[in-house]
Amino acid sequence: MKVRAHMSMLFHLDKCIGCHTCSVACKNLWTDRKGAEYMWWNNVETRPGSGYPTRWEDQEHYRGGWEFQQGYGEAHKLKLRLHGGLGGLAKLYFNTALPSLEDYYEPFTFRYGDLFSAAEGDDQPTAIPISEITGKPMAIESGPNWDDDLGGSPIYARNDPNRQSLPAGVNASLDEIERVVYNYLPRICNHCLNPACVAACPSGAIYKRAEDGIVLVNENKCRAWRMCVAACPYKKVYYNWNTGKSEKCILCFPRLETGQAPACAHSCVGRIRYMGVLLYDADRIPHAANVPDRELLGEFLDTILDPFDPGVIAAARANGVDDDWIAAAQRSPVYRFVKVWQIALPLHLEYRTMAMMFYIPPLSPVMSTVEGGFNRLALADQVQDFDLLDDLDAARLPIQYLASLFSVGDEAVIRRILAKMYAVRLYMRRKTGDATDPATLQALAKAGTTPEEAEAIYKLTTLPHLHERFVLPPYHREMAVETWKDPLAHKGEAGFGAIQPPARGD
Amino acid sequence: MLDELQHSQAEAQGRLMNYLTPHGKWSIHSTYSDNHRMMTLSRGDYPIWLNDKDAAELGIEDNDWVELFNDNGVFVQRCAVSARIPRGTVFVYHATERTISVPKSPLRGRRAGMNNSLTRVRLKPVLMAGGYAQFTYAFNYWGPTGVNRDTNVFVRKVEKVEF
Repeated sequence: MKVRAHMSMLFHLDKCIGCHTCSVACKNLWTDRKGAEYMWWNNVETRPGSGYPTRWEDQEHYRGGWEFQQGYGEAHKLKLRLHGGLGGLAKLYFNTALPSLEDYYEPFTFRYGDLFSAAEGDDQPTAIPISEITGKPMAIESGPNWDDDLGGSPIYARNDPNRQSLPAGVNASLDEIERVVYNYLPRICNHCLNPACVAACPSGAIYKRAEDGIVLVNENKCRAWRMCVAACPYKKVYYNWNTGKSEKCILCFPRLETGQAPACAHSCVGRIRYMGVLLYDADRIPHAANVPDRELLGEFLDTILDPFDPGVIAAARANGVDDDWIAAAQRSPVYRFVKVWQIALPLHLEYRTMAMMFYIPPLSPVMSTVEGGFNRLALADQVQDFDLLDDLDAARLPIQYLASLFSVGDEAVIRRILAKMYAVRLYMRRKTGDATDPATLQALAKAGTTPEEAEAIYKLTTLPHLHERFVLPPYHREMAVETWKDPLAHKGEAGFGAIQPPARGD
Repeated sequence: MLDELQHSQAEAQGRLMNYLTPHGKWSIHSTYSDNHRMMTLSRGDYPIWLNDKDAAELGIEDNDWVELFNDNGVFVQRCAVSARIPRGTVFVYHATERTISVPKSPLRGRRAGMNNSLTRVRLKPVLMAGGYAQFTYAFNYWGPTGVNRDTNVFVRKVEKVEF
């Protein structure tokens, strides 16, 4: 058992208001540069929708992630969907799976100068749209959030790859005015345990830090093969067209190393994001990624370890995990949601990269139809809110849709989670002082939870203090430095020398 | 209500729809409506939202240029076609200014307006009392206005956009 610590983020999708403050914070901090205009290391998508880049979940087209090959060779060998062995060499200089700028969008701005320099006329001038890359006039036809709030739904929402697995009636309901529904899905790099980007790089320029699991691109080693861009199934590595290097979300490690949450997390208006340490067993990764679809979630959760278990603590210490980090893992809100209460899931586990960022699936309003001018709920006439626990399909967001996103198609997992969340909501509405009515307590038990757990979930969801939401351990940089250099020498030399910015050919 | 359609009715063919201008998602009225981040994260400018079935009947596809007109003014912008808009309704989020990416109106020949060009204030005693808005000046004073934003417009597709 090789225990390591991992910095993980959790998104509570019930709270996301789709304001994109996270995207702007990341953009202002990291990608406001030439060559990075089209990059959104953090982006927010409207779901159902096509996402950014367009239809990134279509791995038949983009060839991202890993493939599980049943009965291949001595064990079910995992293979990069992008290529393997000789196929990789053949594609090295011409990778047909590489997304092009059209899959993202052409960044635009406006020729504001025209407002001053237009020729004299009898009508006021206007600033026409131009490309940020070429400077030439262009028609604006795509963007990083083009289908926001179901804009263009006949095209973009309808072509959401997750809708392929929906029953026909359910799929049709998503286009009907009284039944239409949408949610927001913020995404960053998942800093996976089994990253396809790391595996795909021919130069070995991408690596995963052992101390916290952050996946980074070494821009000195990067040779612009862009296999990482194609191999990432979440399309969260981007190519900088100006420097000729690949870039990605760095989980704001300079902020984390100084005790601050990543910019996206810190700036989140809806306070949907949680940061915490998870302890995981690195030895289990080859096995956990290598099981049939139905077993993926169970194996993945087993890879995450109990930070209170003495055996785990001993193994962590033996492997160099600092006591502060073990303590942080014990207070980790991500651990509570993912493993203790089991209401959070990673995105698209079937890509087998073992994403380490988690989502709590959203509750949604009850389906309704308009009959004779009145709104009728798709429940019995005498609507008891308990009824929702028995009829989760009455919710507008199809269970199958959430299952396609978060549980490798396993509806039972989503039902269990939604039932627990409804039960918590019911309990908090109905509890009076110390005594709660038996029917409510029964509903709680049926949903697999207790009053104590419901209170705990409620508190961490709605009333967390900033330092309960972001539990960040001290990074002890001095000890990391110590492993490769005399700290006093480092201290004396820090700040001298020059950093070479990334550029082609370096 | 319909007296702002009398002239336009004779002018050109267009589908009569109810016009609403809800508060914008990416701005506070016109403040920040031209912010580059917000424009990139939406459609480059606040689009005209149309119901998908209405758009199909008018031969309008997502991101086509569309013209809204009535007796008060004219507005030309690209559209967002969506199943979430009720039939017979057109949304334009409030508010953008007339400086960025505003084409000429094919109908009336001059530069098109902004979303308030289609609305109008109907003066009434309630607007005259209290010393608000147009009757008040103070440093940084922001007062309420009496614009009636729930009105009716004609909708038609723009075949060729001209800036």
